[in-house]
Amino acid sequence: MTVSIGAKFGNSFERWFERHLRVLMLAPAMLVLLTLTIFPSIYMIVAAATRISPNPDLPWQFAGADNFLRLLTDEQFHVGLWNTLLFTVFAVGAEFLLGLGLALLLDRYIRRLNFLKTILMLPMMLPPVAVAITWKLIYEPQFGVLNEIMFRLGLPLQAWAGDVRLAMFSVIVADVWQWTPFMFLLMLAGLASLPDEPYEAAAIDGASAWRQFWDLTLPFLKPVIAIALLLRIMDALRLFDLVFILTGGGPADRTKTLSLYIYQVAYRFADPSYAAAISLFVLFTTVAFSTWFIKRMRLAD
Amino acid sequence: MVRKFLFSVVFALSSLMATNAWADITVLVPSGSEGDGLRAAAADYAKLKGTKVEIVQAPYSNVFEQAANAGQTKSGTFDIVLMDDPWIPFFAENAHLEDLTPYFKKAGLEGPDSDFLSKSLAVCRNPYNKGPYVCLPYVGNAQMFFYDAAKFKEAGVEAPKTWDDVLKAAKALSEKGGGRYFGYVFRGGQGNPVVADFMPIFWSYGADMFNGDRTKVTIDTPAGAAAMKTFMALRDVSPKGVESYNANEVGQALAAGTAASSINWPNWVATFEDPSQSKMVGKISYSPIPAGTKPGSSEIGHWTMGIMAAAKNKQEAFDFMLWATSPEQMKISAQRGNPPVRKSIFTDPSLTSQEKFRHYPVLMQAIEASTPRPRHPKWPEIENAFGIELSKAVAGTETPEEALKRSQAAVEEITGIK
Repeated sequence: MTVSIGAKFGNSFERWFERHLRVLMLAPAMLVLLTLTIFPSIYMIVAAATRISPNPDLPWQFAGADNFLRLLTDEQFHVGLWNTLLFTVFAVGAEFLLGLGLALLLDRYIRRLNFLKTILMLPMMLPPVAVAITWKLIYEPQFGVLNEIMFRLGLPLQAWAGDVRLAMFSVIVADVWQWTPFMFLLMLAGLASLPDEPYEAAAIDGASAWRQFWDLTLPFLKPVIAIALLLRIMDALRLFDLVFILTGGGPADRTKTLSLYIYQVAYRFADPSYAAAISLFVLFTTVAFSTWFIKRMRLAD
Repeated sequence: MVRKFLFSVVFALSSLMATNAWADITVLVPSGSEGDGLRAAAADYAKLKGTKVEIVQAPYSNVFEQAANAGQTKSGTFDIVLMDDPWIPFFAENAHLEDLTPYFKKAGLEGPDSDFLSKSLAVCRNPYNKGPYVCLPYVGNAQMFFYDAAKFKEAGVEAPKTWDDVLKAAKALSEKGGGRYFGYVFRGGQGNPVVADFMPIFWSYGADMFNGDRTKVTIDTPAGAAAMKTFMALRDVSPKGVESYNANEVGQALAAGTAASSINWPNWVATFEDPSQSKMVGKISYSPIPAGTKPGSSEIGHWTMGIMAAAKNKQEAFDFMLWATSPEQMKISAQRGNPPVRKSIFTDPSLTSQEKFRHYPVLMQAIEASTPRPRHPKWPEIENAFGIELSKAVAGTETPEEALKRSQAAVEEITGIK
């Protein structure tokens, strides 16, 4: 009797297990997602709608939309937003053009020099902190290699990251140096997958190299370009480590990005509520832009 | 299977114990000589008393963040925090720090003994110099004026007593330097660096951020304008790029012999006197901050030990602090490279007779003539706003007058004092 009850229980458990197998398999991933993404997101929304005091004995106060309305009048937020957009447009633009140019060059003319590809990819493999420290040393006005070269060439020495006119340019150059290889790699992969036939047909019809590039290569590469730009834009909008180490947001606020400002508000000014509001703004702007961009480029098709 | 599991658990637990995860006291300290010194003291204390002291070391700004986070969440992660003194109002006024009065009483003491420098003790009381003790001073930092005496003499200034003397020598030296040598160098980096190097000049012209009873912001005043005028004149004789300089760049410029003078912290003395790091061994002189229209005053930058309100072992933490700040331990700490906060150590002949401690009389004088950064719980935010405007003035994107006006408005906005 005992055996039969045990067998019955065993069978029903097995049936239940089989029926819920898919859910059970997904459970660990869902748990991780819930802990690491959904809970912090809800917490962030709640924090943005409240006023959290650094004093743990004081209760949280409901603030409604106050923290979001503050965004409209906060000059430092506007500076951060402007700098972030400026950086994104110029850094990603330069990385794209250079990456595409290098990919075309290497794909067409120096295909056999594989070691060049490895060398070109090296900067991307470095941690951003190491890149920032390296460029900080290069830009150092008194002992840096860049000014040493300028001096030997008889050119006027520059303050680079310390000069208001050159600070953002210096940050962009360091970022372009690190992330052009990423663009290059994606473009190279895209070029490798292009079919030969349309090019042969175009050559027979007498199309110039420029015409072939404009009418064949670019349209064929469009999905790759769109993905590469999307990934880099999303990354550039979050720029933090490079400016944190290279300039600290200065001089005169010229390189303060939104991420750096969020960090300052949250940790230096101990105001997590307002930091959460800025973070949500960045999140929704990025999501809205990405959705628009995907639709515009017809990537979903 | 079960045996394997149990073995893994035992192994993990013993690893945790071996790595001091269950320490009696956990102390949060900054990286650098201050944290290294307390780490060494903690090891001595563990040997002597058998108390396990775990030291958690973090970069300067992370110490504030981690301590604020622990205080805000009452996590009890840290028993003691080695704090920079301008953070004290934030931690004390937000109930992150323990009032030390009952601990002194229990130890049969009225408070810290009279061998401590009065300015060192004043920063550990909240409100400043009036309230109860919320910490004990450990490292006696105050800015000093560093200069190459031979170069200054060449420029016609024997020993700079005023900012006018500094300017006269610095101008002559920079003009002669042809863009490769400069008479003065300062921390112009946005935020804490530029504020730290401006405040002593600000004070030496009789200016201050607030009036005495803190009912008015007093940045945009004639005294503030006079200080700003000197600061801009000093900028004009400093190297290109000071807009991004921090203490390291300034210290290196002096150690490499590419600049003749600067304000800096006393821990740079060790670098200047180390032949492996400096071309200027024995050539750098030290003095208190030069005078403006009023006597010069250094910015005090003490490292102080406070007990977190949510600490798990408060009594043991207090016992450790009392031991670490005793005269015997402070002498050892000084030998490990951290300036003391006790008169008996500053004047100890066995130390002052050594070359590496020759700056001690000047440093003690500087501490006694020092001023704390404006004591306000929102100091990090105030410093950031003031630092942005000063950075703009140094970079030339706004006039010094605009910088003062905008700083005044920003600090009024942050503090709510109009």
